[in-house]
Amino acid sequence: MAFTNRLRSFIIIGLLPALTIYLLFVIVPILWSAYYGFFDWKGIGAARFIGLDNYAEALKDPIFWRALKNNLIIVAASILGQLPIALLLSLILRKSTLFHRFVRSAVFMPMVVSSIVIGLIWGYIYHPQIGILNVLLEQIGLSSWIRDWLGDPSINMYSVSAPVIWANIGPYLIIFLSAIQNISSDVEEAAKIDGAIKGKWLYLIVIPMIWDTIKVAIVLCISGSLKAFDLIFVMTGGGPAQSTELLATYMYNNTFEIYRYGYGSAVSTLIIIISMILVLGSQVLMRKRGME
Amino acid sequence: MKTIAPGRVPKTTTNTSSRVLNFRASWLLHLFLLAYALVTLYPLLWLFISSFKSNQEFFGSPFALPSVWQFENYTRAWEIGGIGKAFLNSVIVSVLSLVLTLFLGTLTAFIVSRLNFRFKGFIMMLFVLGMLIPIHSTLVPLFILMKSLGILDTYASLILPYTAFELPIAVFVIAAYLTSVPKELEEAAMIDGNGYWGIFYRIIVPLAVPAMATVSILGFLRFWNDFAFALVFINKQALKTLPLSLSMFSDGYGTDYSLTMAAMSIAVIPTIIIYLLFQNQIMKGMVAGAVKG
Amino acid sequence: MKKKTLAITACTTAMTLLLAACGGGNTGNSGTAEEGNKAGTASPKIKLSIWHNFSGDDLRAKAVRAQIDKFKAEHPEIQLDAQAIPPDGYRQRLKTVAAADEMPDVFFTQSGTSIKEFYDGGLIQPITSLLDEHPEWKNNFIPGSLDTLSFNGEVYATPLSGSATSFLFYNKSLFEKYNVKVPTTWDEMMTAVKTFNDNKITPISLGNKASWLAQSSIISSLADRVTGTDWFKKAVNQDGAKFTDPEFVQALTYFKQLSDAKAFQPGFNSLDNTQMEQYFVEGKAAMMIDGAWALTNMAASGTEEQLNQVDVTILPSVPGGKGDPKSMSGGSGGGLALSKRATGDQLKAALELIYTVSGPDAMKAIAGSNSIVTYNVDLDESQVMPLFYKAYNLYKSVKLTPVYDAYLTSSATEAVNNGLQELSMGGKPEDIAKKIQDAQARDLGK
Repeated sequence: MAFTNRLRSFIIIGLLPALTIYLLFVIVPILWSAYYGFFDWKGIGAARFIGLDNYAEALKDPIFWRALKNNLIIVAASILGQLPIALLLSLILRKSTLFHRFVRSAVFMPMVVSSIVIGLIWGYIYHPQIGILNVLLEQIGLSSWIRDWLGDPSINMYSVSAPVIWANIGPYLIIFLSAIQNISSDVEEAAKIDGAIKGKWLYLIVIPMIWDTIKVAIVLCISGSLKAFDLIFVMTGGGPAQSTELLATYMYNNTFEIYRYGYGSAVSTLIIIISMILVLGSQVLMRKRGME
Repeated sequence: MKTIAPGRVPKTTTNTSSRVLNFRASWLLHLFLLAYALVTLYPLLWLFISSFKSNQEFFGSPFALPSVWQFENYTRAWEIGGIGKAFLNSVIVSVLSLVLTLFLGTLTAFIVSRLNFRFKGFIMMLFVLGMLIPIHSTLVPLFILMKSLGILDTYASLILPYTAFELPIAVFVIAAYLTSVPKELEEAAMIDGNGYWGIFYRIIVPLAVPAMATVSILGFLRFWNDFAFALVFINKQALKTLPLSLSMFSDGYGTDYSLTMAAMSIAVIPTIIIYLLFQNQIMKGMVAGAVKG
Repeated sequence: MKKKTLAITACTTAMTLLLAACGGGNTGNSGTAEEGNKAGTASPKIKLSIWHNFSGDDLRAKAVRAQIDKFKAEHPEIQLDAQAIPPDGYRQRLKTVAAADEMPDVFFTQSGTSIKEFYDGGLIQPITSLLDEHPEWKNNFIPGSLDTLSFNGEVYATPLSGSATSFLFYNKSLFEKYNVKVPTTWDEMMTAVKTFNDNKITPISLGNKASWLAQSSIISSLADRVTGTDWFKKAVNQDGAKFTDPEFVQALTYFKQLSDAKAFQPGFNSLDNTQMEQYFVEGKAAMMIDGAWALTNMAASGTEEQLNQVDVTILPSVPGGKGDPKSMSGGSGGGLALSKRATGDQLKAALELIYTVSGPDAMKAIAGSNSIVTYNVDLDESQVMPLFYKAYNLYKSVKLTPVYDAYLTSSATEAVNNGLQELSMGGKPEDIAKKIQDAQARDLGK
């Protein structure tokens, strides 16, 4: 009895400060913003209650759906690009040698540099006239592959995905690295003695052992990709003609540029709902896989 | 028992030809990794080089070295952007937010990952929610909220939201890390007469160092670079943080890149230091594991 | 055992309290500051706040900040809190405090649609009395330049600068080399485009990534030449004209014609205005249609020699156009607006501040910083850039027509911006016109 009481008081006292700050500064604003979504409000002056009209309008707007589609491309690119590369690198680079530390640090560095810098450099890579990519294609005799990488709406979402993947491998690399620290060397030694070859070792031992971390990384990937826009915004400004519009830019424009605060809030609530569905979906999928 | 770093174990049983093959493959791998590293390092290098250029050169020859190294870009940026004070403010805000995030995050992660109680699922759900919200939509509610709390225009108006928004990631990363640690550890500690707080400080915190280091790097980056909150919640010039100084050099139609790049170069240094510092901590877990082995 | 738990509980509580104290302790501070702000008279020093976005190292920003500093020096009895907010975040900051109804006493806002939002929201008060007090100031504004900052017969701000969004810059030596006439008619323009293209020179430099550029610099002037100003004002009010009218569709068609004739460099929708200005000043393009801001940007990124190649004129006329061809889109830039909250001594101080920062002396200082003003100043030719001097005189000699984004609602502006990008990617003028019409009509509730 005394045991459970102690447990209970520890849980309550331990969670209280974190939950207080969290509820106050995150959950309350989320609900508040969802509430603004029910109003026709410019952000200045009088607000008019219009029920679900904002939500209905967003769902009817083709640009909203395009932004969602673009976002899903980024989510897919992140999950299929960043995570496997980061996992592989974390396995290759998990030693403390100078070389490994150097490469690890280098891989992380695009993260510390401002998106403006990354955007400028990739802008020069994709530049329609002096772009490195097009010059390179021309020199190796693939002139027919030359494109307006950022201007052509049929490919520009893929063009912008590349730098997004490239610049954001770092966080997943360190998350995986720290998780791998947990796999004690005995396990690895045991695997060696068993004669498990590298590939098998990865699938049979590493992935199951850091499965929880992979799940978290996927959630981070989804949430990060749905919120991220700065890098893409630096490169294309969401254009041309809104072809690289993302949910976050769509929300931001409506809130702060077009003076439709209520509508922007509704879009932001929709972003949360959509992300939630994606996150839950991914977790359900992973639970099944994990059990196999 | 003495343990050698696993990958380095020499394979004595392999025959000569496959050893040569291995040797070649490992050299190829090293070469590839080196090339990859240089490519990812390039933006940083480019930033530093550009920060010494004039505006003409910045646009005219973006990939060349500066013909004259303009060191005064730094002094001018420092002065006009008020970087000295902003830098100090950023350090204070980022460090305090980090300490708070780590303490609360680790504690919460310990509770949700190792203990059983009724509302655990619900609490985890709440934390997921916080990761999904686009922060720009919280600006107005947070502004009004903090005004009524009377903390607007203080360090707390940045520290508390920063911590709150970083908590989910901290909790998830640390909790995921802790779930793979065998439970026998704290059962043993319990028998040794430690209370829950004792277990937390003596067992969990040292154990979670690699995950905490990861959270530190990610959190620091976010706090250090945040523009939206710093823009809106701080009014007093004396409390302004660094990201505001970085965007000062624009008139809305064009940007003075020589000054912007110089200011960014200054701002990027602490994040590199923090990264290098905590990267070693991430690897600490390995050392501990090796000793145990 | 119990003791330990207790100690730890105390620890956590202390931690929480510390946090609360962290906030609580500051409550006092900001509380008093706020009281002082509102009451004004209660404290010996009058407190006043001004927000602006002249934060940079450019000459104009320095000129404006110098006026603010002058006010500080002249008025030791006033405690002025002057905030230079980076332009990139200015609107976001202003919108947030506006939503929370916490406006600064004096703040910079753009003319037209932007200031109208604050007027409609009842957040600002007129400064007409200040202008009446200083007739020599009031009467020296270029006629009509207070229009986009006035509502219901009252002036709410005076322009700190003029906007001239549609100069046709051209490279003299390229025109000489290929023996091309500087275009004054649409046919001459199309001939020039063809000649330059034949010689592998980009005819017109354009960087429309930010998407407002083609709207503000090209279509505002070009469409006015086709439709005339009266039509535009009617269409804005949705009163007797619509954006689906044939004349506006024709204007969009002209733009499409330029784009189809490959007048702009490839990929112009992914270049920004700085890149386009750079491209032009380096002599890679023969022409560029851009606003007055290009003058300072070109001066910053081009060499003296390159700048000497540049000359400036206005867009060519169009056949059968209803608008005055001797015109360019432009008008007043933003100005300092006065919060409705200011009363009593604070109001007096605020008006004084506005006069110092946007009065006759300030106008002269701003014009001297290579910025166009809508005010009669005797510009000292030796003190400004030669190209600026030319552009400024050109600006004063032509009729000004509305810049689209100063009149259209924000979402109709977005529709124009995105529509022009779409046009250059193969969109149909009729469809774009309809989107613009729909956006404007919806915002006006018609």
